[in-house]
Amino acid sequence: MKLFTNNKQEVPIVDHCKPDGSKWSITEKLLLGLSFQDYKKQFFRNPFNWAFIIIFLIGTPILIERYLFGLGTVTHSSSDYPWGLFLGFGLFGMVPLSASGFMLGTTVELFGRKDFHPIERLALLNGLLGYFFAVLFLMVDLGMPWRLPYPMFVSLGPAAVLFLVAWHVATYLSVQVAEVLPSFFEWLGWLKGKRAIRSMVLGLTVSGIILSTLHQGALGALFTYAPGKLHPLWLSANFQWIHFFCSSIFGGLCMVIVVSTLIKKFMAWRCDDHFLETLDNLSLGLAKGATLAMITYIVIKFVAIAHDKEWAYLLTGWGQYYLLEITVAVVLPLILCVWAIRNDNATVVRFAALIVVLGIIWNRLNTALICYNWHLYQEIPHWKEVAITVLVYSSYIITYRFILYRLPIVYEWKGEK
Amino acid sequence: MKNKIINRRNFIKGGLGGAVVASQLKGKESQAAGAFDHYPDSMGVLVDVTRCVGCRSCEAACNQEQGLPEPEKPFNDYSVFDEVHPHGGHGREERRTTEYNYTIVNKYNVPGVDHPLFRKIQCNHCLEPACLTSCFVNAYSKTPEGAVVYDPTVCVGCRTCMIACPFYVPTFKYGSAFKPRIMKCVFCHETRLKEGRPPACVEICPQEALTFGKRTDLLEMAKSRIRSNPDKYVDHIYGEKEAGGTAWLYLSPVEFDKVGFDVHVPHEPVINFVRDFLSIVPMVLLIWPALFTGFHLLSNRKDAKSQHDEDNQEV
Amino acid sequence: MSQGKNVQRTLCIIAVGSALFWSGLGYAMDASDAPEVITMDSLENHYDPVEFNHLEHTEMAACTDCHHHTLGIPPTNESCVKCHENSPEADVLSCGDCHLTDRFGIEALATLDDPQLYHRGTPGLKGAYHLNCVGCHQEVGGPIGCEDCHTMKDAGKKMFKAGKYAPVSKGEKGGH
Repeated sequence: MKLFTNNKQEVPIVDHCKPDGSKWSITEKLLLGLSFQDYKKQFFRNPFNWAFIIIFLIGTPILIERYLFGLGTVTHSSSDYPWGLFLGFGLFGMVPLSASGFMLGTTVELFGRKDFHPIERLALLNGLLGYFFAVLFLMVDLGMPWRLPYPMFVSLGPAAVLFLVAWHVATYLSVQVAEVLPSFFEWLGWLKGKRAIRSMVLGLTVSGIILSTLHQGALGALFTYAPGKLHPLWLSANFQWIHFFCSSIFGGLCMVIVVSTLIKKFMAWRCDDHFLETLDNLSLGLAKGATLAMITYIVIKFVAIAHDKEWAYLLTGWGQYYLLEITVAVVLPLILCVWAIRNDNATVVRFAALIVVLGIIWNRLNTALICYNWHLYQEIPHWKEVAITVLVYSSYIITYRFILYRLPIVYEWKGEK
Repeated sequence: MKNKIINRRNFIKGGLGGAVVASQLKGKESQAAGAFDHYPDSMGVLVDVTRCVGCRSCEAACNQEQGLPEPEKPFNDYSVFDEVHPHGGHGREERRTTEYNYTIVNKYNVPGVDHPLFRKIQCNHCLEPACLTSCFVNAYSKTPEGAVVYDPTVCVGCRTCMIACPFYVPTFKYGSAFKPRIMKCVFCHETRLKEGRPPACVEICPQEALTFGKRTDLLEMAKSRIRSNPDKYVDHIYGEKEAGGTAWLYLSPVEFDKVGFDVHVPHEPVINFVRDFLSIVPMVLLIWPALFTGFHLLSNRKDAKSQHDEDNQEV
Repeated sequence: MSQGKNVQRTLCIIAVGSALFWSGLGYAMDASDAPEVITMDSLENHYDPVEFNHLEHTEMAACTDCHHHTLGIPPTNESCVKCHENSPEADVLSCGDCHLTDRFGIEALATLDDPQLYHRGTPGLKGAYHLNCVGCHQEVGGPIGCEDCHTMKDAGKKMFKAGKYAPVSKGEKGGH
């Protein structure tokens, strides 16, 4: 993209009007103001796109195989391990990393911290896409995806935790669509819609907190159905929901730091100066919030062990693995963050955030797969399961990038707002 | 059932808001988990491990009764007992129930016992089934006769029931893309139990290792068997308390873990472990809105005040 | 063969008849009064009837091993002795007279509602046969395999997927 931005002064598009006063058409906006030929050229010049093409070439046939011949042909899911990577990574891993939407919504809209405003939209988009693709992962994993609306309208089982997850994710997804719509309306130039949403923003934000608290917690609570199966160190009937909720707070914040870092590195042409200038400080600010959540998390993790009297487990192999997880995924980044905040070092914060993001995924995989059936045997996912997971995650990245290229997320719309 | 339908209707009428979800949840939960007294006259089966000789007649009868697919080996082929890593579980050494069989018998050579012991596996038909309480589309029901039955027409295929079942009983047709479903023992509910007849496996069992009757009678019977033969049995009835009580009960001559039972299954219904979370749901729904709107007002007041201060300074 | 069966059946009838007769006179039964061979056909759905050589078994086992307390002989089992030490010879002696064929039928189960009922765990006929026969055979090294005693009928083979019904397709299942 850089080449083109240098060549053409009207690119990137930040306004409804071209420098000569005429209006951008939607097609032109979609093509980023480039001709179709140019767009294609820049697309194939990007090495990432080649990687994506390979992933799609391998993954798509496997995905089709899954829908034509059943889950059994592409996964190692079994009677003992009903859930594999699709849920372990796709649902349980992606949802906490998407908590950013409600976190920054709350910070900016409720607590009035307008200084976080430049990154709010990115956090909201991160939330929306994370949830949306978590649902897509679910659609891959469900035996009968075409019955997705059943728990909503056909046969309701309201006493089940999954019922809460389904309802709250569905409602929250619509809340997030509403929260991201203003950027879309600005880009589209339909200001009525934007104003309508603006007027609901407080309600949306509050319902965002409620729904997030509940379903982030509910995802954890799903495992309280398996008290004999999941290793006791990763399962606490009383605290599971709060473990999941609390870790989603720093997970979501750190995900925004990671994504913004990538944007700064690979998409600087799209950002406006305000975003780029404030980003270091904002990252430190987000890290500050994450630090508090991490401290809380470590405390409640050990409170749970004390409550369930599980200290003896720490001396076993599983206990050591548990301590390794806590140390590498939480304590280490916590120390890095504290040091970095003191020394105003955004680079270290970013590195720590990356550890946290991977750590959250690690924790969720531990809970859903690795430490599940700890007294039985370990399941290794089928390579095709990995291929589909990579495929769906790639679509996530592509969609993310597609939207960031166009909508006013990391830049401010110059036209009418 | 009628009550349930009314609930559903109110539910839809009441709109799709979270608050309704919560009130529903609370109501249903207390009804399903708290006050529910079980069906007093529900039936069960007492499995006496000392009596089973591993003839696999139950497997054969089940296969025929339920119209299950053809097995890999005839049911009078006893080499299956020595199979290691049979299909059905990738890393499991033992045979287990799969989508092709609702029940299987496994052989155990227990040190100190001069003959092999056999244990039958099938759905235990819990009094408060975890599969039922974890299902978000109400695909499971516990019938007054004691069976836990499954309705494939509403199932979404999320497989949470398989996560929740402490006995690893429900299995899923992973091989089917268009008509997958959960497969598990249904106590021959439709074909037999409903009419008061014992399930096919009980009827065929030559050794009467399986005794069919009211669960309450069976418990008594089991206790009296233990009492009159204290040397023959371990003093425990597996299923009396496991998972909150199951319709199928077991007596064993050796410690239960030696014949493949999971002795770590909690002695209370699985739903008890979930309750802590379920109870916070209404609280969050009620307290959060007020709390956070309050925060908002407070922080805005601060804004307004500082604005005011600034104005004052300018003046 | 059919003639032999007839003979046995006649013997059975005579045996039962004489049993009734002798019991009326208050005499303990003697093994020689019993039928020589008894045909058991309660599993006729799946197996051919079993010809049980009663005479042969009287030489290997005590009468009370099977006829617990009904012969007027004190039982050996301690807990049975408590009540049946002086039990007289019973009117009925064949297994099926006490052990129900339809052990789990609605009527049979309803008898358990009687709180006065002492023998609550009496096995059904099939259970009684097998528990006693197989139990003893295991101890003394008699045949214990199902088909050592029972010849499978076509219906049995169909249920067990054995013989001509044996599965042909292999390795089709699992999918992964």
